[in-house]
Amino acid sequence: MKARRGGSSHGLKLLLVPPRVEASLWRRLRYEREVRCRELLFTRYRGLARATALRILRSRPRNGVTLEDIEQFAYEGLLVAIDRYDPLRGVPFGAYARRRILGNVVDGAARMNELDAQHHYRSRVERERLRSIADDQGQDALATLANLAADLAIGLLLEGTGLIEPDDGADRRPNAYESLAWRSLQHRLAQEVSRLPEREEAIIRQHYEHGVSFTYIAQMLEISKGRVSQLHAAALAKLRARVGHG
Amino acid sequence: MALCKDEEMNELLASIQRDGIDHFGLVERLIAAYPDDARLHFLRGSLLIGAGRAIEAHAALSRAVGLEPEFALARFQLGFFELTSGEPARALATWEPLDRLPADHYLALFVTGLRHLIRDAFDDAIAALTRGIAANTENPPLNHDIQLIVDECHRIAKGTGQASLVAETEETSATSFLLDQFASGTKH
Repeated sequence: MKARRGGSSHGLKLLLVPPRVEASLWRRLRYEREVRCRELLFTRYRGLARATALRILRSRPRNGVTLEDIEQFAYEGLLVAIDRYDPLRGVPFGAYARRRILGNVVDGAARMNELDAQHHYRSRVERERLRSIADDQGQDALATLANLAADLAIGLLLEGTGLIEPDDGADRRPNAYESLAWRSLQHRLAQEVSRLPEREEAIIRQHYEHGVSFTYIAQMLEISKGRVSQLHAAALAKLRARVGHG
Repeated sequence: MALCKDEEMNELLASIQRDGIDHFGLVERLIAAYPDDARLHFLRGSLLIGAGRAIEAHAALSRAVGLEPEFALARFQLGFFELTSGEPARALATWEPLDRLPADHYLALFVTGLRHLIRDAFDDAIAALTRGIAANTENPPLNHDIQLIVDECHRIAKGTGQASLVAETEETSATSFLLDQFASGTKH
């Protein structure tokens, strides 16, 4: 049975000891090679990475660097911290990770200034997505185009779905003026995401909810970037089929 | 398999109840002398729980159960530790051999109650845990912990419950109920 995020029973929640829950993630990642725990730890500390990215962005001249770019460096720093942290040394992970994230963001932002716009997160992510879904299509040109359009539309829907509450507290759900049909579609899509196979769900959530690029999702899940791309396409195809024929 | 002598164990237990002593040093010295004594690993695991060293605590409790699979209290504690760590499936697997205990054994009743609890079957949980408390004459501190869970179940059933119970209470009694257990000289 797939463990659902936030799916603990009330009775279990009553018994949970938060430091033990976190220690359990580290134990299973380090000593039992349970790769999924890397993603769970990443999600647990993603807010710290984002907050650090935001702080850096506010304190420095932007030079064309966007928050999304900075966040990618923060996520990279977080992943490095997760892989290097020694949970037996007694240093809280948050304190350990903060320094690594900060260093990575500062280094990344400096590198970023030297690169041209094509490396920016937004254009890179759009290329990655397009390549992912284009590679997955069949031979029929018209069907390919239709599927591509549907997959891109699902990607847009997912971005605006607010599958979970955004960190900044902003409510990005459609407002009262937006159509009922749109809201209903987004709701169904969110439900379908939670029915995806575990790895596909992780990719969709990390990418669309958390804005993590394929590169770092690959690192998080210990698979190749090409495999992330394939699984992303497979997930969108499932969502397209299920939402399209519901 | 060489086991720690009674007098050494008693000395260790007495010292653990005194402050200002390197408890870990004492227990680790005994483990070096008697590496296959499950009780020592269990004791070390309980001390580690108290010290908040969760990863090592899990390893020590697992070692105790691995060395002596019939050590029911260690098995119960390991499963309970896993449950409180957010690993219910693993806890249930750890507890499975406890089904061989008599149905009215307090640990069997506690396990039954906790199984009900994680399914949100609060009334059944309260009934089994309460029976377990009545049946448990070996470990009063454990009864105290379980009673807190029962009280919280009552509150949840009335819709006034809160979400963190063990964090505040369980750590303090882990070692004391262990000491009582050893004092009673039983492993069942």
